Amino acid sequence: MILGTLMNSGKLSHTVAIILKALSLGYQFGFDIMEVTGLPSGTVYPALRRLERDGLVSSSWEAEEQALKEQRPARRYYTLTRQGKEAEGAATKRYPLLTRLIPDKWGKTV
Amino acid sequence: MSHGPGQAAPDRLSPLLDQRLLPLVSHLVPRPKRPEWTREWQAELWHLRYGEQRDRRRTESVRQVLSLSWGLVADAGWVGLHSLKQEKRGSAQWCLYQLVAACLACGVVELICERSWGSLMHTFAGYFVDRFMLVALPATFVALATMPRTPRKCNRERRHLSGLLPEHTRWTLFLASKVSLSVTLGFLVCVLVSIPVRRVLGHNGDWIDVVLSTVMLTTSLRLSFDDQKQRCQRCLRLLSQPVRVGPPSYNLLNWNGTELVCSEGHGLLQVPEMQGSWCWYDLWVEVDPGWNSALSPES
Repeated sequence: MILGTLMNSGKLSHTVAIILKALSLGYQFGFDIMEVTGLPSGTVYPALRRLERDGLVSSSWEAEEQALKEQRPARRYYTLTRQGKEAEGAATKRYPLLTRLIPDKWGKTV
Repeated sequence: MSHGPGQAAPDRLSPLLDQRLLPLVSHLVPRPKRPEWTREWQAELWHLRYGEQRDRRRTESVRQVLSLSWGLVADAGWVGLHSLKQEKRGSAQWCLYQLVAACLACGVVELICERSWGSLMHTFAGYFVDRFMLVALPATFVALATMPRTPRKCNRERRHLSGLLPEHTRWTLFLASKVSLSVTLGFLVCVLVSIPVRRVLGHNGDWIDVVLSTVMLTTSLRLSFDDQKQRCQRCLRLLSQPVRVGPPSYNLLNWNGTELVCSEGHGLLQVPEMQGSWCWYDLWVEVDPGWNSALSPES
């Protein structure tokens, strides 16, 4: 329903498609997404909030133990929901070059 | 917190972001969401200063800090605006703000068209006396005379609502303000339309003005009264989540109609499918405070 609305209303913009693709490839927090996509923070964070509001993305705080082990503050991680994965699939179909633009987080070439 | 070994040295500019700009900008975020928002950005800025950078050059540092500053402001602004919209949506203040904004927008466009205050005031006065008054007075009279005298009927004694003004006074004041602003907006729209019409048709456009004034006035008055009927009788917020109750085929045996709920959980309005008699009005059902959270959409 939301996906259909997004697609029809043209809200599934190139920016949103890139962010969804980055999330699907394992980039989970704002700076990670900014670095791999080259999008500015003024675009990435409001887009993440909108995606979360629309139910395409969910967020959760990293476990404190993990953050302490790596000597850094805990991060807020964003992941795709089921609807988000559907949207990401639709975005990849709409923008096929996305798969070449963003490398996999874990080093695999997609 | 110490940063990881062997990682990039902190910039000179980036501490300004988390020590100066972040606390300042965080005031744009509503208080309940502020700690989490600040915590998220602190973690992100830590990553900027100490985290691994994939493709970063020193010459880009200033530009990056500027871009991040804008990002901070944009994000805080978005969160603040979104929360404000969520909170104010459907409220009486929001309705009045929208009407005032629409009136101001019309006024500004008309000022641009007329090019001077004097000319604008002359146009307003001429249009009001020659055309709008002819329609406004009878239309307002008819609208008020035919307005159904629906009492604000409640299923029980109303609970006392804290506030400067009594509940009924606030209800009447809001209705009066809304009607005044709606009629003003109708007038401004008529003037706005009449400017090009007069330029093209001259005095032949008078008939169009009269018809347009009638339509605008009737519409604005009708919308104001209808809007008032769909509001919570305690907080004046627009009622939402309409639910149909009862099968219409059992109309003679059971009540059927639509129920609308106040998003603040103050109560619900029962609107019958068919008016059973001339004195059968919508019924406002006050609920106990314990039900407030159950009726609010966030629950």
